[in-house]
Amino acid sequence: MHEWSLACELVRQAETEARRRNALRVHAVKASVGVLTGVVPELLQRAYEMARQGTCLEEAPLEIEVEAIRARCPRCGREVTLHSPALVCPDCSALGLEVLGGDGIFLASLELEVAETAGGNHV
Amino acid sequence: MCETCGCGLPEEAKNHAHEHDHDPGRTHREEAVLYRNLLAANEAQARENRAHLMEHGILAVNLMSSPGTGKTSLIEAVTASLSDQLRVGVIEGDLATDRDAERIRALGLPVWQITTGSTCHLDAAMVHEALHHLPLESIDLLFVENVGNLVCPGLYDLGCHLNGVLLSVTEGDDKVAKYPVIFKYAQFFCITKSDLLPYVSFDAAKPQREARILKGDLKTFSLSAKSREGMGSFLNYLLAERAALTA
Repeated sequence: MHEWSLACELVRQAETEARRRNALRVHAVKASVGVLTGVVPELLQRAYEMARQGTCLEEAPLEIEVEAIRARCPRCGREVTLHSPALVCPDCSALGLEVLGGDGIFLASLELEVAETAGGNHV
Repeated sequence: MCETCGCGLPEEAKNHAHEHDHDPGRTHREEAVLYRNLLAANEAQARENRAHLMEHGILAVNLMSSPGTGKTSLIEAVTASLSDQLRVGVIEGDLATDRDAERIRALGLPVWQITTGSTCHLDAAMVHEALHHLPLESIDLLFVENVGNLVCPGLYDLGCHLNGVLLSVTEGDDKVAKYPVIFKYAQFFCITKSDLLPYVSFDAAKPQREARILKGDLKTFSLSAKSREGMGSFLNYLLAERAALTA
Protein backbone atom coordinates (compact mmCIF):
# COMPACT_ATOMS: atom_id res chain seq x y z
CA MET A 1 0.00 0.00 0.00
CA HIS A 2 2.66 2.56 -0.94
CA GLU A 3 -0.30 4.03 -2.85
CA TRP A 4 -1.42 5.63 0.42
CA SER A 5 1.85 7.58 0.89
CA LEU A 6 1.74 8.60 -2.76
CA ALA A 7 -1.91 9.73 -2.58
CA CYS A 8 -1.07 11.90 0.46
CA GLU A 9 1.82 13.50 -1.44
CA LEU A 10 -0.41 13.98 -4.51
CA VAL A 11 -3.04 15.76 -2.42
CA ARG A 12 -0.40 17.86 -0.64
CA GLN A 13 1.19 19.05 -3.90
CA ALA A 14 -2.17 19.65 -5.63
CA GLU A 15 -3.43 21.73 -2.70
CA THR A 16 -0.24 23.79 -2.57
CA GLU A 17 -0.43 24.48 -6.31
CA ALA A 18 -4.14 25.38 -6.27
CA ARG A 19 -3.54 27.83 -3.43
CA ARG A 20 -0.50 29.35 -5.15
CA ARG A 21 -2.62 30.01 -8.25
CA ASN A 22 -5.49 31.48 -6.18
CA ALA A 23 -7.87 28.87 -7.57
CA LEU A 24 -11.51 29.25 -6.54
CA ARG A 25 -12.18 25.61 -7.16
CA VAL A 26 -10.35 22.49 -8.32
CA HIS A 27 -12.37 20.67 -10.99
CA ALA A 28 -10.05 17.75 -11.70
CA VAL A 29 -6.66 16.25 -10.90
CA LYS A 30 -4.60 14.22 -13.33
CA ALA A 31 -1.77 11.89 -12.27
CA SER A 32 0.70 10.00 -14.43
CA VAL A 33 1.92 6.62 -13.19
CA GLY A 34 4.85 4.79 -14.78
CA VAL A 35 4.58 1.02 -15.22
CA LEU A 36 7.96 0.52 -13.51
CA THR A 37 6.68 2.05 -10.24
CA GLY A 38 4.42 -0.95 -9.62
CA VAL A 39 1.70 1.44 -8.45
CA VAL A 40 -1.75 -0.08 -8.90
CA PRO A 41 -4.02 2.62 -10.41
CA GLU A 42 -7.17 1.27 -8.71
CA LEU A 43 -5.48 1.37 -5.29
CA LEU A 44 -4.14 4.87 -5.92
CA GLN A 45 -7.67 5.94 -6.87
CA ARG A 46 -9.12 4.56 -3.63
CA ALA A 47 -6.31 6.01 -1.51
CA TYR A 48 -6.84 9.41 -3.18
CA GLU A 49 -10.52 9.35 -2.28
CA MET A 50 -9.59 8.94 1.38
CA ALA A 51 -6.63 11.33 1.36
CA ARG A 52 -8.60 14.23 -0.16
CA GLN A 53 -11.17 14.33 2.68
CA GLY A 54 -11.27 17.78 4.24
CA THR A 55 -9.20 19.39 1.46
CA CYS A 56 -10.07 21.63 -1.49
CA LEU A 57 -9.97 18.50 -3.69
CA GLU A 58 -13.15 16.98 -2.30
CA GLU A 59 -15.04 17.76 -5.52
CA ALA A 60 -12.14 16.97 -7.85
CA PRO A 61 -12.06 13.52 -9.45
CA LEU A 62 -8.68 11.94 -10.12
CA GLU A 63 -7.78 10.74 -13.58
CA ILE A 64 -4.80 8.39 -13.79
CA GLU A 65 -2.84 7.92 -16.99
CA VAL A 66 -0.54 4.90 -17.11
CA GLU A 67 2.80 5.59 -18.74
CA ALA A 68 4.55 2.69 -20.48
CA ILE A 69 8.26 2.09 -19.90
CA ARG A 70 10.56 3.66 -22.50
CA ALA A 71 13.99 2.09 -22.65
CA ARG A 72 17.04 1.85 -24.88
CA CYS A 73 18.55 -1.52 -25.73
CA PRO A 74 22.31 -1.70 -25.07
CA ARG A 75 22.81 -4.25 -27.86
CA CYS A 76 20.67 -3.15 -30.81
CA GLY A 77 20.46 0.49 -29.71
CA ARG A 78 16.72 0.67 -30.39
CA GLU A 79 14.35 2.66 -28.24
CA VAL A 80 11.55 0.35 -27.12
CA THR A 81 8.21 0.67 -25.33
CA LEU A 82 7.31 -1.93 -22.67
CA HIS A 83 3.99 -2.47 -20.95
CA SER A 84 5.29 -4.77 -18.19
CA PRO A 85 8.28 -4.30 -15.89
CA ALA A 86 10.47 -7.05 -17.41
CA LEU A 87 13.37 -5.13 -18.89
CA VAL A 88 14.10 -7.32 -21.90
CA CYS A 89 14.52 -6.01 -25.45
CA PRO A 90 11.50 -7.27 -27.45
CA ASP A 91 13.59 -7.29 -30.62
CA CYS A 92 16.89 -8.91 -29.67
CA SER A 93 16.14 -10.22 -26.11
CA ALA A 94 19.09 -8.32 -24.61
CA LEU A 95 19.01 -7.57 -20.86
CA GLY A 96 20.00 -4.51 -18.86
CA LEU A 97 17.98 -1.94 -20.80
CA GLU A 98 18.58 1.71 -20.00
CA VAL A 99 15.31 3.13 -18.67
CA LEU A 100 14.34 6.48 -20.24
CA GLY A 101 10.82 6.88 -18.86
CA GLY A 102 7.88 5.16 -17.23
CA ASP A 103 9.59 4.83 -13.85
CA GLY A 104 8.06 7.87 -12.17
CA ILE A 105 4.82 9.09 -10.65
CA PHE A 106 3.69 12.65 -11.24
CA LEU A 107 1.01 15.19 -10.48
CA ALA A 108 0.42 15.78 -14.21
CA SER A 109 -2.09 18.63 -14.22
CA LEU A 110 -4.90 20.42 -12.42
CA GLU A 111 -8.07 21.84 -13.88
CA LEU A 112 -8.80 25.00 -11.93
CA GLU A 113 -11.51 27.64 -11.69
CA VAL A 114 -9.76 30.99 -11.47
CA ALA A 115 -10.95 34.59 -11.32
CA GLU A 116 -10.36 36.70 -14.39
CA THR A 117 -7.86 39.40 -13.59
CA ALA A 118 -9.29 42.87 -12.98
CA GLY A 119 -9.47 44.89 -16.22
CA GLY A 120 -6.59 47.10 -17.17
CA ASN A 121 -2.90 46.46 -17.16
CA HIS A 122 -1.29 43.29 -16.08
CA VAL A 123 1.97 41.65 -16.88
CA MET B 1 -1.62 33.25 -25.20
CA CYS B 2 -1.40 35.57 -22.21
CA GLU B 3 -0.29 33.34 -19.30
CA THR B 4 -2.00 35.41 -16.67
CA CYS B 5 -5.50 35.49 -18.12
CA GLY B 6 -5.37 33.16 -21.11
CA CYS B 7 -6.87 35.89 -23.31
CA GLY B 8 -5.18 34.80 -26.52
CA LEU B 9 -2.69 37.63 -26.99
CA PRO B 10 0.45 36.50 -28.77
CA GLU B 11 3.46 35.05 -27.00
CA GLU B 12 5.38 38.37 -27.10
CA ALA B 13 2.67 40.11 -25.08
CA LYS B 14 3.44 37.98 -22.00
CA ASN B 15 6.25 40.20 -20.88
CA HIS B 16 4.47 43.49 -21.54
CA ALA B 17 1.68 45.26 -19.77
CA HIS B 18 -1.32 45.10 -22.11
CA GLU B 19 -4.84 46.50 -22.16
CA HIS B 20 -7.93 44.37 -22.53
CA ASP B 21 -11.38 44.14 -21.11
CA HIS B 22 -12.08 41.48 -18.58
CA ASP B 23 -14.98 41.35 -16.22
CA PRO B 24 -13.34 41.12 -12.79
CA GLY B 25 -16.37 39.27 -11.41
CA ARG B 26 -16.12 36.48 -13.94
CA THR B 27 -14.21 33.26 -13.62
CA HIS B 28 -12.94 30.69 -16.07
CA ARG B 29 -11.46 27.23 -16.16
CA GLU B 30 -7.80 26.72 -16.90
CA GLU B 31 -5.56 23.70 -17.01
CA ALA B 32 -2.31 23.93 -15.08
CA VAL B 33 0.16 21.46 -16.63
CA LEU B 34 2.62 20.55 -13.89
CA TYR B 35 4.28 17.11 -14.13
CA ARG B 36 5.54 17.35 -10.53
CA ASN B 37 7.44 14.29 -9.34
CA LEU B 38 5.67 12.88 -6.28
CA LEU B 39 8.87 11.17 -5.16
CA ALA B 40 11.04 14.29 -5.55
CA ALA B 41 11.13 15.12 -1.84
CA ASN B 42 12.14 11.55 -1.00
CA GLU B 43 14.79 11.49 -3.73
CA ALA B 44 16.30 14.80 -2.52
CA GLN B 45 16.42 13.49 1.05
CA ALA B 46 17.98 10.23 -0.18
CA ARG B 47 20.76 12.15 -1.97
CA GLU B 48 21.41 14.08 1.24
CA ASN B 49 21.57 10.85 3.28
CA ARG B 50 24.01 9.32 0.80
CA ALA B 51 26.32 12.35 0.93
CA HIS B 52 26.14 12.43 4.73
CA LEU B 53 27.00 8.70 5.02
CA MET B 54 29.80 9.15 2.47
CA GLU B 55 31.35 11.94 4.59
CA HIS B 56 31.58 9.46 7.44
CA GLY B 57 33.00 6.72 5.20
CA ILE B 58 29.99 4.52 5.92
CA LEU B 59 28.81 1.91 3.43
CA ALA B 60 25.01 1.74 3.85
CA VAL B 61 23.14 -1.39 2.75
CA ASN B 62 19.35 -1.51 2.46
CA LEU B 63 17.95 -5.05 2.91
CA MET B 64 14.50 -5.70 1.40
CA SER B 65 12.45 -8.90 1.48
CA SER B 66 9.19 -10.44 2.66
CA PRO B 67 8.85 -11.01 6.41
CA GLY B 68 10.78 -14.06 7.62
CA THR B 69 13.34 -14.28 4.80
CA GLY B 70 16.23 -13.87 7.23
CA LYS B 71 17.30 -10.22 7.03
CA THR B 72 18.19 -10.03 10.73
CA SER B 73 19.92 -13.43 10.61
CA LEU B 74 22.02 -12.27 7.65
CA ILE B 75 23.08 -9.15 9.58
CA GLU B 76 24.01 -11.35 12.57
CA ALA B 77 26.04 -13.69 10.37
CA VAL B 78 27.87 -10.82 8.60
CA THR B 79 28.68 -9.21 11.95
CA ALA B 80 30.02 -12.47 13.39
CA SER B 81 32.40 -12.82 10.44
CA LEU B 82 33.48 -9.21 9.91
CA SER B 83 33.60 -7.83 13.45
CA ASP B 84 37.41 -7.70 13.42
CA GLN B 85 37.45 -5.80 10.11
CA LEU B 86 34.42 -3.48 10.07
CA ARG B 87 32.31 -1.81 12.74
CA VAL B 88 28.67 -2.59 12.00
CA GLY B 89 25.61 -0.47 12.89
CA VAL B 90 21.96 -1.18 12.14
CA ILE B 91 18.72 0.69 11.51
CA GLU B 92 15.73 -1.60 12.01
CA GLY B 93 12.38 -0.93 10.35
CA ASP B 94 9.25 -2.72 11.54
CA LEU B 95 5.54 -2.02 11.73
CA ALA B 96 5.57 -2.80 15.46
CA THR B 97 7.83 -4.02 18.31
CA ASP B 98 11.60 -3.64 18.72
CA ARG B 99 12.30 -7.38 18.72
CA ASP B 100 14.79 -7.12 15.84
CA ALA B 101 16.58 -4.24 17.54
CA GLU B 102 16.86 -6.35 20.71
CA ARG B 103 18.57 -9.12 18.73
CA ILE B 104 21.09 -6.62 17.32
CA ARG B 105 21.62 -4.93 20.70
CA ALA B 106 22.45 -8.33 22.16
CA LEU B 107 25.45 -8.41 19.80
CA GLY B 108 26.68 -5.14 21.28
CA LEU B 109 26.09 -3.16 18.07
CA PRO B 110 24.68 0.37 17.79
CA VAL B 111 21.08 0.06 16.60
CA TRP B 112 18.08 2.34 16.10
CA GLN B 113 14.58 0.95 15.70
CA ILE B 114 12.10 2.75 13.43
CA THR B 115 8.55 1.69 14.21
CA THR B 116 6.47 2.74 11.21
CA GLY B 117 3.01 1.99 12.63
CA SER B 118 0.91 1.54 9.50
CA THR B 119 3.48 2.49 6.85
CA CYS B 120 4.64 -0.50 4.86
CA HIS B 121 8.09 0.80 3.87
CA LEU B 122 10.93 2.99 5.11
CA ASP B 123 11.52 6.31 3.37
CA ALA B 124 14.53 8.62 3.21
CA ALA B 125 13.17 11.00 5.87
CA MET B 126 12.80 8.15 8.40
CA VAL B 127 16.39 7.05 7.72
CA HIS B 128 17.61 10.65 8.06
CA GLU B 129 15.94 10.90 11.46
CA ALA B 130 17.43 7.55 12.55
CA LEU B 131 20.95 8.69 11.58
CA HIS B 132 20.76 11.32 14.34
CA HIS B 133 20.50 8.54 16.90
CA LEU B 134 23.54 6.54 15.80
CA PRO B 135 27.25 7.12 16.57
CA LEU B 136 28.23 7.58 12.90
CA GLU B 137 31.91 8.13 13.71
CA SER B 138 32.16 4.55 14.99
CA ILE B 139 30.34 2.77 12.12
CA ASP B 140 31.88 1.49 8.87
CA LEU B 141 29.02 -0.65 7.59
CA LEU B 142 25.40 0.34 8.23
CA PHE B 143 22.59 -2.10 7.53
CA VAL B 144 19.13 -0.66 7.03
CA GLU B 145 16.68 -3.50 7.52
CA ASN B 146 13.54 -2.45 5.68
CA VAL B 147 9.99 -3.37 6.67
CA GLY B 148 9.23 -6.97 5.63
CA ASN B 149 7.40 -6.41 2.33
CA LEU B 150 8.27 -7.43 -1.21
CA VAL B 151 6.40 -4.58 -2.94
CA CYS B 152 6.39 -1.11 -1.40
CA PRO B 153 10.02 -0.60 -0.27
CA GLY B 154 11.16 -0.88 -3.90
CA LEU B 155 9.95 2.59 -4.81
CA TYR B 156 11.74 4.48 -2.06
CA ASP B 157 15.41 5.36 -2.40
CA LEU B 158 16.73 5.58 1.19
CA GLY B 159 20.13 7.00 0.31
CA CYS B 160 21.94 3.68 0.82
CA HIS B 161 24.88 2.80 -1.44
CA LEU B 162 23.66 -0.76 -1.94
CA ASN B 163 20.11 -2.07 -2.08
CA GLY B 164 19.65 -5.79 -1.80
CA VAL B 165 16.66 -8.08 -2.28
CA LEU B 166 16.52 -11.34 -0.30
CA LEU B 167 14.43 -14.38 -1.17
CA SER B 168 14.41 -17.53 0.95
CA VAL B 169 14.15 -20.97 -0.63
CA THR B 170 10.95 -21.65 1.33
CA GLU B 171 9.13 -18.76 -0.39
CA GLY B 172 9.17 -20.41 -3.81
CA ASP B 173 11.24 -19.84 -6.94
CA ASP B 174 8.49 -17.94 -8.80
CA LYS B 175 8.65 -14.75 -6.72
CA VAL B 176 11.02 -12.65 -8.82
CA ALA B 177 8.72 -12.47 -11.82
CA LYS B 178 5.78 -11.73 -9.52
CA TYR B 179 7.45 -8.86 -7.65
CA PRO B 180 9.63 -7.07 -10.23
CA VAL B 181 9.38 -3.54 -8.80
CA ILE B 182 11.39 -4.40 -5.68
CA PHE B 183 14.43 -4.74 -8.00
CA LYS B 184 14.21 -1.14 -9.28
CA TYR B 185 17.10 0.20 -7.15
CA ALA B 186 18.67 -3.19 -6.36
CA GLN B 187 22.36 -3.90 -6.87
CA PHE B 188 22.38 -7.39 -5.36
CA PHE B 189 20.09 -10.37 -4.86
CA CYS B 190 20.57 -13.06 -2.16
CA ILE B 191 18.86 -16.41 -2.06
CA THR B 192 18.78 -17.26 1.66
CA LYS B 193 18.33 -20.43 3.76
CA SER B 194 20.14 -22.45 1.09
CA ASP B 195 20.76 -25.16 3.73
CA LEU B 196 17.05 -26.03 3.35
CA LEU B 197 17.33 -26.70 -0.41
CA PRO B 198 17.24 -30.52 0.02
CA TYR B 199 13.80 -30.24 1.67
CA VAL B 200 11.97 -27.92 -0.74
CA SER B 201 11.43 -27.87 -4.48
CA PHE B 202 13.22 -24.67 -5.36
CA ASP B 203 15.22 -24.21 -8.54
CA ALA B 204 17.85 -21.66 -7.42
CA ALA B 205 18.89 -20.92 -11.01
CA LYS B 206 15.40 -19.75 -11.97
CA PRO B 207 15.02 -16.68 -9.71
CA GLN B 208 18.63 -15.68 -10.35
CA ARG B 209 18.02 -15.84 -14.11
CA GLU B 210 14.78 -13.89 -13.81
CA ALA B 211 16.39 -11.27 -11.57
CA ARG B 212 19.12 -10.70 -14.15
CA ILE B 213 16.42 -10.25 -16.80
CA LEU B 214 15.00 -7.43 -14.69
CA LYS B 215 18.43 -5.93 -14.01
CA GLY B 216 21.32 -7.10 -16.14
CA ASP B 217 24.07 -5.95 -13.77
CA LEU B 218 22.60 -7.47 -10.60
CA LYS B 219 25.07 -9.37 -8.35
CA THR B 220 23.54 -12.64 -7.16
CA PHE B 221 24.38 -14.82 -4.14
CA SER B 222 23.05 -18.04 -2.69
CA LEU B 223 23.81 -18.50 0.99
CA SER B 224 22.79 -19.76 4.40
CA ALA B 225 23.30 -17.56 7.47
CA LYS B 226 22.93 -20.69 9.59
CA SER B 227 25.31 -23.15 7.93
CA ARG B 228 27.49 -20.29 6.56
CA GLU B 229 27.63 -21.90 3.10
CA GLY B 230 28.00 -19.25 0.41
CA MET B 231 28.68 -16.49 2.97
CA GLY B 232 32.29 -16.02 1.81
CA SER B 233 31.48 -14.41 -1.53
CA PHE B 234 28.87 -12.13 0.03
CA LEU B 235 31.35 -10.97 2.70
CA ASN B 236 34.00 -10.33 0.04
CA TYR B 237 31.45 -8.30 -1.93
CA LEU B 238 30.69 -6.10 1.10
CA LEU B 239 34.39 -5.64 1.88
CA ALA B 240 35.17 -4.69 -1.74
CA GLU B 241 32.28 -2.20 -1.88
CA ARG B 242 33.37 -0.62 1.42
CA ALA B 243 36.97 -0.38 0.18
CA ALA B 244 35.80 1.23 -3.10
CA LEU B 245 33.73 3.78 -1.16
CA THR B 246 36.63 4.97 0.97
CA ALA B 247 39.37 4.62 -1.69
